[in-house]
Amino acid sequence: MIQQPLDLILLALDEEILVKLRGDRELRGKLQAFDQHMNLVLSDVEETALKVEVDDETGEELIKAVKRKMPMLFVRGDGVILVAPPLRTA
Amino acid sequence: MTTQGNIEKRSPADFLKQVVGKPVVVKLNSGVEYKGVLACLDGYMNIAMEQTEEHVGTQLKNKYGDTFIRGNNGK
Repeated sequence: MIQQPLDLILLALDEEILVKLRGDRELRGKLQAFDQHMNLVLSDVEETALKVEVDDETGEELIKAVKRKMPMLFVRGDGVILVAPPLRTA
Repeated sequence: MTTQGNIEKRSPADFLKQVVGKPVVVKLNSGVEYKGVLACLDGYMNIAMEQTEEHVGTQLKNKYGDTFIRGNNGK
């Protein structure tokens, strides 16, 4: 009974998911559509990008989280690393 | 010849069947490791895993349930 992992993503349609992208980015949104390339369409999505800044004087490293929201978003599949249902504390 | 695991001239498909259901560690190009139980995978090396934990030196996230990892990211 070997099923494709993509069939299991099918079950996540219309549900909120967490997507990890290249470049230390994460998305949280509702999965509207996807294909075998992992192209995704997400609605009501929030992007969190982690940036590391180095203070020139102290050499200190600061990690900044930059967030932005979009009502609808198309994600190109080759940037996708991982897809998961968001953590639930149930 | 010692037969440990019966490595004969079988197709990769049979190998994949063997691995499914076992706990695995998946290392990505980025250096991040994911430990979990292999639920299924396909010919592109896309992977679905359960009870996945993410490790980058320290544990960052606990992903219970299914996680899908795109095949091109494996190392």
